[in-house]
Amino acid sequence: MTLLAIAWFDFSSRLRAVSTWVYFVLFAFLAGLWMAAAGGVFAGASVSFGGDKVLINGPYALAVCIAFLGFAGVTVIGSVAGRAVQQDFEYGTYHFFFSAPIAKRDYFFGRLLGAWLTLTLVFLSIVLGVVIAVHLPGIDSARIVAAPSWQSFLRPYLFLLLPNMLWLGGCFFVLAALTRQMTGVFVAGVLVLVGYIFAVNLLGDMDNKLLAAMVDPSGVTALDVLARYWTVAQKNGEEIALAGVFLWNRALWMGLGLLVVVVGYAMFRMQAVTAGRTRRRAAMVESSLPVEPTRTLAALPAATIDRSAGAYARMLPGLARLYCSEILRSPRFLAIVLAGVLLVLGNAATLGSLYGTNTWPLTYKVLDIVGGTFNLFVLIVTAIYAGELIWRERDTRIDDITDSMPAPTWLGFLAKVLALFGLQTALMLVVLLCSISVQLAKGYTRIELPLYLFELFVIHLPGFFLLAVFALTVHTLINNKYLGHFVALLLFIVVSRMADFGYEDRLYRFASRPNLVYSDLNGYGHFLPAVFWFRLYWGAFAGLLLVFTYALWVRGRDSGWRPRLRAVVGRMTPVAWSLAGVAGVVFVATGSFIYYNTHVLNPYVSRKEGQQLRADYERKYKALSGVPQPKVTAVDLRTDVFPEQNRVRIAGTLSLANKSTQPIKDIYLHYPPTAQAHALEFSVPARLVEETPAMHWHHYALGTPLPPGGVATLRFDFEYGAKGFRNDGADPVVLGNGALINTGFTPETALVPSFGYNPAAELTSDNDRRKHGLAPRSRMPDLDDPAEQRQSALTRDADFIDYRATVCTSADQFPVTSGYVKRDWTENGRRCISYAMDTPMAAIYPVLSGRYAHRRDVWKGPNGDVAIEIDYHPGHEFNLDRMVAGAKDSLAYFTAHYGPYQHKLLRIIEFPRFRRSGGFAASFPNTVPFNEAIGFTAKVDDRDPKDIDYPYFVTAHEVAHQWWAHQETPANVQGAEFITESLAEYSALMVLKQKYGDAKMRRFLKHELDRYLMGRGLEQKGEQPLLRADGAAYIHYQKGALTLYALQDAIGEAAMDDALSAFLKRWHFKGPPYPTSRDLLAELKRVTPAEHQGLIEDFFETITLYDSRAVSAQARKRPDGRHDVDLVVTARKIRADSTGKEADAPLSMQMDIGVQDAKGNFLVLEKRAVKTGENRFTLVVDGVPVRAGVDPLHKLIDRDAGDNVVKVEVL
Amino acid sequence: MQLSIRDLSKRYANGVQALANVSLTVQPGMFGLLGPNGAGKSTLMRTLATLQSANSGTATLGDIDVLRQPGRVRALLGYLPQDFGVYPRVSAVDLLDHLARLKGLVDAKPRRETVDALLQRVNLFDVRKQKLGGFSGGMRQRFGIAQALLGDPKLVIVDEPTAGLDPEERVRFHNLLADIAADVVVILSTHIVSDVEDLCGQLAVIDKGRVLLTGKPGELVASLDQHIWRKVVDKSEAEALKAQLRVVSTRLQAGRTVVRAYGESCPGAGFEVTVPDLEDVYFSTIAGHLAAPAAQAA
Repeated sequence: MTLLAIAWFDFSSRLRAVSTWVYFVLFAFLAGLWMAAAGGVFAGASVSFGGDKVLINGPYALAVCIAFLGFAGVTVIGSVAGRAVQQDFEYGTYHFFFSAPIAKRDYFFGRLLGAWLTLTLVFLSIVLGVVIAVHLPGIDSARIVAAPSWQSFLRPYLFLLLPNMLWLGGCFFVLAALTRQMTGVFVAGVLVLVGYIFAVNLLGDMDNKLLAAMVDPSGVTALDVLARYWTVAQKNGEEIALAGVFLWNRALWMGLGLLVVVVGYAMFRMQAVTAGRTRRRAAMVESSLPVEPTRTLAALPAATIDRSAGAYARMLPGLARLYCSEILRSPRFLAIVLAGVLLVLGNAATLGSLYGTNTWPLTYKVLDIVGGTFNLFVLIVTAIYAGELIWRERDTRIDDITDSMPAPTWLGFLAKVLALFGLQTALMLVVLLCSISVQLAKGYTRIELPLYLFELFVIHLPGFFLLAVFALTVHTLINNKYLGHFVALLLFIVVSRMADFGYEDRLYRFASRPNLVYSDLNGYGHFLPAVFWFRLYWGAFAGLLLVFTYALWVRGRDSGWRPRLRAVVGRMTPVAWSLAGVAGVVFVATGSFIYYNTHVLNPYVSRKEGQQLRADYERKYKALSGVPQPKVTAVDLRTDVFPEQNRVRIAGTLSLANKSTQPIKDIYLHYPPTAQAHALEFSVPARLVEETPAMHWHHYALGTPLPPGGVATLRFDFEYGAKGFRNDGADPVVLGNGALINTGFTPETALVPSFGYNPAAELTSDNDRRKHGLAPRSRMPDLDDPAEQRQSALTRDADFIDYRATVCTSADQFPVTSGYVKRDWTENGRRCISYAMDTPMAAIYPVLSGRYAHRRDVWKGPNGDVAIEIDYHPGHEFNLDRMVAGAKDSLAYFTAHYGPYQHKLLRIIEFPRFRRSGGFAASFPNTVPFNEAIGFTAKVDDRDPKDIDYPYFVTAHEVAHQWWAHQETPANVQGAEFITESLAEYSALMVLKQKYGDAKMRRFLKHELDRYLMGRGLEQKGEQPLLRADGAAYIHYQKGALTLYALQDAIGEAAMDDALSAFLKRWHFKGPPYPTSRDLLAELKRVTPAEHQGLIEDFFETITLYDSRAVSAQARKRPDGRHDVDLVVTARKIRADSTGKEADAPLSMQMDIGVQDAKGNFLVLEKRAVKTGENRFTLVVDGVPVRAGVDPLHKLIDRDAGDNVVKVEVL
Repeated sequence: MQLSIRDLSKRYANGVQALANVSLTVQPGMFGLLGPNGAGKSTLMRTLATLQSANSGTATLGDIDVLRQPGRVRALLGYLPQDFGVYPRVSAVDLLDHLARLKGLVDAKPRRETVDALLQRVNLFDVRKQKLGGFSGGMRQRFGIAQALLGDPKLVIVDEPTAGLDPEERVRFHNLLADIAADVVVILSTHIVSDVEDLCGQLAVIDKGRVLLTGKPGELVASLDQHIWRKVVDKSEAEALKAQLRVVSTRLQAGRTVVRAYGESCPGAGFEVTVPDLEDVYFSTIAGHLAAPAAQAA
């Protein structure tokens, strides 16, 4: 009873506290905001729950929302549960409770229960916020479940929020109760967060997913792992279940919580002083005042007293140092730093991992950690210590003394600002040391100290300073420490996520700056100045904030607003006013300059406006998409690259032909509004009729229509360059080193004019389309669309072209494009090279310029030599041998198995990264631009069976495209990627297999399976079978690789070669009409024997999953020493529709049945007929069987591959 | 330098009227501020120590407007709050040195000498290197007075300084205060009458935010001469007397109750006139038997 009374007292007094309701309202608000944004209330918002089709109040979205926000509430849990007992010590009220006839049990658990009740209430607000948001006007009804189940709310609350409240609350409670301080709670809170971040990073490598699921204290990662392979239909229709790793995670952390509470209860003493304190006190010499004063006051030495501003200003560094060192030496901060170190080291462990293979710890790679997750860590430390510093005197209750001292208010204020800066600087030093240690530990000794110092102390630190000022302002305004921590963190998150809600302009996004990505080739490039301008702008604003905060700084006992505002008058001295004035002037001046750059010099287009533009474009011009346009038959370019000026001049002549059956009267010319057109002329009379430059649209009417078969030319001379900077940073059109100029391979930003309506400019997301009143659209034209079957999937402008180009650039750079070098000369101090292609080619061609070193080699093929050249950045020699080997082995394999290479040269050119992720390589006629982040810097350990030689593999893939895309070019319809990407992936796998063996392939395909299954859940439109692959990478890469390799496994390499070479021969440089996936499938069907014909349907024509499972395996020793193994397996085949809805299908096929020995070697592995349901096999094996099962090598698409094999029971 | 307070009022956000038109004039020397708990003493002290604003009224120290020129007041102020904490992991000498710097003692060497001298004055010199976290209540209080004396203050405000001290230490503490009070305004707030009796040349009694009485202790006691009557009664009778008479105080003595009552003539049978003391002044004032003529006079 006493227990309940205490709990109720605690709970009801919390109910009267303002902070409880502030938390309540804020969580409701956050949940509502998230839902509203994902539900389409904000125009231009880009918030979703992983895929357009995941309904915002469906079970999965609700679970993510509730779990995540609940976890963000860890500060609230800390403040409510931690303070439950600790505040009795802080306020001294423990005397009453400890001396009252209350059992320890009642006090301890009463308090704990009270805290839990409060938290339960506070977090209910999340549910409330969600419910309200779903009913807001402006919510897109297509994004919500009309009648959501109450289970969808209850389950995440029960499985995620409540357990976290219980165990975290319990731990925080115990820590604070035992130490009687909040220190432990802070440290534990930070550790919990580090655990979460660490888990998220671990998830980068699929082999770690079990570990990741377990170490995440929040359970969010475990839920992620549980739902990793959920399709959209499952996410919207299936309630989350407490099962698998999710259950284990919850059990683990609840168990820990329980343990801590039990141990904590045992250790808790209801005593005024703990044993430790008594001992310390005993050591103290007690003294007393002398009875008679020994000296009079007059005898005090006369000390000079100087209370001038100058004297106090000289005190500032010392005081700041004092505040800072006090924190730096505190055990709490050391613990937090240790957590930070763990975080850096943990992240470094899977540095830049791709296919589970690490990259070299290049300085910029290591530094990416700071730009990424460590950022969050610094934010939290900043928010917390801003509060700690502000409350330093008040927490100790020495504020009455210090506040009545004659030291000016600005002294303490500035000292605290500087101390916080100092703290952040110390964290940067920690990162520096950790990073260098990581590099050295990985045996990498190319330490780039200047880069470290610049990135950490010039790029990152000033940004953290801005946030420090912001945090101090928030804490000063809130004037409640625990609430302040929470609000500061909340605002950090809100400010950093504003853009996702459609508020993108950096002029009002505090402390924002354009992204800056360092590249070994290009350094920071011309992206740096914009960053500095924004820093200066927000720095000036921070200056204003500082003056504002100073004016409202709490000194003395007045915490009400009226007296605080009255004090402002006294604080705002002429000096303060002039500082504010200077900051204000700088703010306005830099703001104007930025505005000029981002709004005047470069047109400002918000995401919302951009979407509107696309929607308008579609509405206005889509009707003209069927109007025949001339095709380009030859390209003759003259490209002048000015890397230092980030400028390029592209001139050229396009030969045009009317390949249609109708005369062409109108030409719709496309080029970007950033083009400065020096010349644009047709060889036939043409008149500009209409243009909408913002939509890239220029309509010319020909004086005399171009008859079918008629030819003409278009001469153009365009100039492009980065002008100042945009809201998202400088225009990356031409980089200073390693420029890759988009002549047309990315249609939206193509610099060379193109023809006709451009479907690539249409809005793709169905959510966005609905918002703009457009019907949903498929990603690609239908497989059987006859018009599109006559279009090349590579470009709408041409079929195959003759190509020649002259590229000039700075003398120290190497200009390169497709073709062969015809002439190489210097002109006006500039390097010029003329290239020409000797055969017709697909009309996509890159232009690059960079300071390259060259690796040259020759592959001696049956039809003559092929030169291999890699143009790379000096210093990136790591994997050149692997890439050369990849190129040679590929050329050899493809020539032997499919047909000859069409060129005499294969060139790979490195180009810089300028986005943090998404490095790619792309195959152009005899030319392969290859991003520095993918392959060049991989660190492949051949002795590690886990490592995939992906520089070799990616090279093979790109070389394969010289066959699959360039020798046969697909039609622009569904399935196009199946006959380019899937075939390239398959071909590369075969090259990889030849070199590294089948086992390594299994390892690789495991990743592919994982990524395929995961990709299904993020589907934006609807999953298609491979036959209709429509641009979703998880289908054409991952599923393509898996299924083609599995088919090869079933029917043999020779049969595959038969089909592929026949397909290639049939479509060799053919089109229009171009081949489709049906043509390939016909060949595959032709070579597939009857018993495997079902695979064609399963793999390519439908979405099919298998669920095979080994039930039991028993072995009996035979008289001849061999073993009989009786194996029972079950099997099931599942067909899914485009949303992931599943239905069983009858299964009858050949599957692998295998028995392994202790070392994992197969004693037997053979194909056997398997039917739906239970299947029994008896196998005779040599040696001792240890494991046995069905599809043990995971060749089929099976979501739970772990149950395919069981241990053999030897009788 | 004299401190004059005129019509000072303070009402807290929760509606409590902590000060109501307080007017006082304080000359150099010790000034005692007497009042029960919650009388508004600490509010007044904090207001004078520039830690709190007032709703209306003025306070001037010499030519300084205390409410508008907090910086100038702080330069002259030494303040010992009623309740304060110290950094537990910092040594006495380090904290005092730090506070001395905040008081404007810029040069390290003389500052160190002042700090050492003050620590000697309050007899903490031997433990100066020890962490403040281990200090007893008395030691901490002495540290508090040491910091209040830093920087040659002209206005010293000590709020309930003897609350945690044992009787002996209280005496020593008083000596220390008396020592500095020569040409300095020292305001001592307390609810213990004898503190004021021993030390203060002037006093004021405040209750519920109002000044009820001011004057010199001796004169105030003298004004009650022949007005305080004493009778020893049973407990039950004491209750009855309380209802009928202007009882100043009741005190238990050997199981019986000594009743002291205020009256211009003998209030009843069995009462005998007795020698008044300061406690009688205080209790009579609080009980409302004494008007505050002295307050107007001040």
